[in-house]
Amino acid sequence: MTPETAYLLYFAFALGGAGVYFLLPRGEATKPAIGALFGLGSLIALALVLSTRIITPDHTTYYFYLFSTIAIAGAVRVITHPRPVYSALYFILVVIAVSALLVLLEAEFLAVAAIIVYAGAIMVTYLFVIMLAQQTSTPHYDSRSREPLLAVMAGFVLMAAIATRSADIAPSQVAGASTALNNASPIVLVSDDASGDSSTTMDEALSSSNTLLVGASVMTKYVVVLEISGILLLVSMVGAIALSRKRVPMEGYRPTAPPLGQIGKEVEPY
Amino acid sequence: MNSLAEYSVISAILFALGLVGFMTRRNLIVIFLSTELMFQGIVLNVVTYARLHGNTDGQAFGLFMLVIAAVEAGLALGMIVLLYRRRGTLDAEAWSFMQG
Repeated sequence: MTPETAYLLYFAFALGGAGVYFLLPRGEATKPAIGALFGLGSLIALALVLSTRIITPDHTTYYFYLFSTIAIAGAVRVITHPRPVYSALYFILVVIAVSALLVLLEAEFLAVAAIIVYAGAIMVTYLFVIMLAQQTSTPHYDSRSREPLLAVMAGFVLMAAIATRSADIAPSQVAGASTALNNASPIVLVSDDASGDSSTTMDEALSSSNTLLVGASVMTKYVVVLEISGILLLVSMVGAIALSRKRVPMEGYRPTAPPLGQIGKEVEPY
Repeated sequence: MNSLAEYSVISAILFALGLVGFMTRRNLIVIFLSTELMFQGIVLNVVTYARLHGNTDGQAFGLFMLVIAAVEAGLALGMIVLLYRRRGTLDAEAWSFMQG
């Protein structure tokens, strides 16, 4: 990356930091219009930088620009919207945009799984909890941020550091990546010694299906991790039930009245 | 050939935005939403490198990361329900005495 490109990248992040600072809820001091203007400038500068990194644009380039713009704008709204319900809805938008980017990276199975798990399951749980703690108006802690200036500075310096290193991936490393993916060593899922026909069909299926490749990788190379994640899910389920259950007194149980002067001194946790 | 650096840059941006949200917001639910945003950035980065090296290891990692995100969301939301029942507010500052 040439120094000019690096400085343009830093300029984009400085603009973006200013935009996020103005967009963060700070009570009366929030200035969404100025923040949006800074954000737009930052996105344009970022697109200029990225256009120098994309050496041979093809039809996926336009989709990349579209979905990454949606992802970044949605992410900014997730962290700046004063109402948590809208934050959760914008997060679904981010998940869908990131899934589209995953499709562009030929990770179709992971993209669909992310949409189902995130937008379908996790976000519904979040929305339930938000509804549970429903407030009539925006409470004061949602309209005030904690140390917005310092947090934005720290976050965007980190962003510039990671992104500058990331932008230096040499193009030669990726040459022929898709052919390597297609010529991945055939994994024998079912051992059959008699017929040669099924192995060729397995090869064709492996070269054509992303789901088969990922499944073979998860079920052979990372099978221990798969088992551990199952245990982890079980532990999480038990923990969540133990944490959030309501203690109901037994049938016919009447607590004895506390002595006078002790009422109100000790509060039952539930 | 493209270098895929552009996807990596986008993932860095998503991660850092989640970090900013984690540090600035005071609502417990939005704090955990910010961690999910960081997870999205990491998944994108892992899959980018999987594509770069031409194998599917990164996609397997992304799948396990999805599991971790589900575990984290389940436990975190259980905890948020508990804390909300105790204090009647989602403000993280209501628990600031825990900082010692």
